[in-house]
Amino acid sequence: MLDYRLDKFQPLKHILCFDDFDNGLCGWTNLMPNYTLDNFGVRDSIVEKTQWGPIMLSSGTFRFSGTHGSMDGIYSLKLATRPVANPYQEPPAPGSISHAIKRLTMHRKPNRLQFEMWYAYTTEQDRSGLSENDIRAFGVSFDMQDAKARNFVGVRYVNSVNGELKKEWQVMQANDVSDNDWAYGTDGDWCKRGVDPMWYGRRYPDGRADGYQFVPDSRQELCYNESDDKINWLYLRLTYDLHERRYVELQSRDKVFDLGQFQPTDVPPYARIEGLLNPVIWIENDSDRRIFLFVDSVVISVD
Amino acid sequence: MRQFQTSTLEQRKTFDTDFETHPLEVAWASEAIFFVDVEQLDEGSGSLHLKVQISVDGVNWLDEGTIFEPIRVKERAFRRVSHFGGWLRLKGELLESGSLYKATIHLVIKE
Repeated sequence: MLDYRLDKFQPLKHILCFDDFDNGLCGWTNLMPNYTLDNFGVRDSIVEKTQWGPIMLSSGTFRFSGTHGSMDGIYSLKLATRPVANPYQEPPAPGSISHAIKRLTMHRKPNRLQFEMWYAYTTEQDRSGLSENDIRAFGVSFDMQDAKARNFVGVRYVNSVNGELKKEWQVMQANDVSDNDWAYGTDGDWCKRGVDPMWYGRRYPDGRADGYQFVPDSRQELCYNESDDKINWLYLRLTYDLHERRYVELQSRDKVFDLGQFQPTDVPPYARIEGLLNPVIWIENDSDRRIFLFVDSVVISVD
Repeated sequence: MRQFQTSTLEQRKTFDTDFETHPLEVAWASEAIFFVDVEQLDEGSGSLHLKVQISVDGVNWLDEGTIFEPIRVKERAFRRVSHFGGWLRLKGELLESGSLYKATIHLVIKE
């Protein structure tokens, strides 16, 4: 019998994860820094990473409409920022991002690797009006490492830059900058160029960023809807060729973008994480109110 | 198996004014415990008052009725809550200006 829950995806031959959040958190957790210093301290960084908004299981309930539920049930994974944001060109404010991660390792030598999800996004309906401009960006990526390199492979939808709607897709590929530049001009930050482009890499007022390249002709209307309490479930697929170390394509809603011209940035391997394969999802705030990314379900697959 | 989640709502965060914790959706759960680990950083006599709040929509909040004993100096404490609907948070109030507290607040929820 056809499983309609899986039929709305296009998985590669081997499914690694099929996470329907009606079944719980499915191993997705909050991203935190490494608590390895005295008194469980973390290393100094220009980006404060202990305050990101905690994730949760959501019923999608709003003030007047009541419970939205998820795409085929009640619960979705909800990423919720805190009600804070810095200007786009500054390091993200503590709490202005919510970030979910699942920690896996590679169990076979794949050719291609694929991330799919059905999701929706909106702002907290804490004031009147329509608030689409308050959502800065959201995205998905893999944080992975083999014997040769650590790579961040991902895409983000840049929705709004300092309140101005942009609505374009970007792909993770770092500009040729120094580690100092990557950490917003600070020396000795833990991070290396190419690592954690979710929040590292300078950003510029026109939407460009040192961690990303714009996908050509990628301005796309998503279905934000006409009110902050109406959410529509959207499809996203990112396919990456691990063998060729090259992006393949991005599908958003019914539109497919060729990413063949892009490559992720190689970073010398970090200690103790060989074989790392962490899918991640995040959303970033552009204003002083909470914003939410709801994820109905995720499929990670390889061939 | 019963579903379970421990969420760190606030992590080693300092407060010098009234505050509310990150709202957590808990519709799937039937029981919850707030754990607080608080340290007073100022030398004054102002205490920290914490109370549980519930919400119909995550935006508008009402007191649930459960409160913590007033906190001073250094304290670890918990409060159990049940029958709470869709959201939970703590409201923190500092009754004296100049007070400064550092707090880690966990919410532990179970189906």
